[in-house]
Amino acid sequence: MTALARLWRNHRLALLAFLAAAALTLFFAVRLVVFSVYWMHPAQQDRAPEGWMTPGYVARSWDVPRAALRGALDLPEAAGRPPTLAEIARDRGQPLPDLLEEVAAALAGLTAGE
Amino acid sequence: MTDAVLALVPAWGVWLVGLTTFLSCLALPVPASLIMLAAGGFAAVGDMALPGVAAAALVGAVAGDHAGFAIGRLGGPRLMAWLERRPRRARLVARAVAELHARGGVAVFLSRWLFSPLGPWVNFAAGATGFPWRRFALPEALGEVCWVAIYVGLGWAFAGNLEAAADLAGSVLGLLAAGAVTLGLGLWLRLLLRHGRRQPRRPRRPA
Repeated sequence: MTALARLWRNHRLALLAFLAAAALTLFFAVRLVVFSVYWMHPAQQDRAPEGWMTPGYVARSWDVPRAALRGALDLPEAAGRPPTLAEIARDRGQPLPDLLEEVAAALAGLTAGE
Repeated sequence: MTDAVLALVPAWGVWLVGLTTFLSCLALPVPASLIMLAAGGFAAVGDMALPGVAAAALVGAVAGDHAGFAIGRLGGPRLMAWLERRPRRARLVARAVAELHARGGVAVFLSRWLFSPLGPWVNFAAGATGFPWRRFALPEALGEVCWVAIYVGLGWAFAGNLEAAADLAGSVLGLLAAGAVTLGLGLWLRLLLRHGRRQPRRPRRPA
């Protein structure tokens, strides 16, 4: 009798638990590979600006100099903690979607020169 | 929901980081891992200070663990009985007690980061079942260093792309945890096989 058959006969639950754990391991391995490939794709590198992001975060995501982005958006150097784009829009009395469009346009301008 | 949480990170800074790791170690449903990833990312782009982020996360987590341990010690068997009233919670508590009994400090260490859903329950169980504090404190601190380093580090490494950091953290930790369980069960099966070979097979009972 093979080892597998013996386990199946005498320790079925343990064998099933092992197979389930092995399947789960395989699932996570595949998930890791799929996500790695997905995120390495150039189209996924630059994240669209959103309200929770700070100008510094956007600059890093798009690989443009912080000062250049601040200049293009006409933003002063923040004293104290950095504001998010949503807070900047609120301080300017500007709707957030308008500011996000402005940021996207600035990024397009800054990356076009490369 | 995620965006609202992320917006709080630069606004509240390291206080939010420490508060969430503290609460998550007491089994309260707060997105501590997401906040650590985000804080690591904001630190990498210069919006927060990395030492402050790491220290706040670590102090919050260690304080939370010891608070959980103290609650367990004070509550004792009555707390355990109360925790076991809900079936899902009872399962987690039972596993925490079993792991703690079988593996002691190793269970404390691994339940900080690799099997982190068990973490808070191990804290309560360790306190309530009289697990010695001095055997708890060191693996607890080392485990939290791993937890904080993984999440803040991934956030730092993937700054500018938090979604990628969150996906990869989930995959890597899932793979490690499932792999560890598979390995453990595999070793156990091997032991069962060897054990079975040494003993003559028992006659089968009629079905």
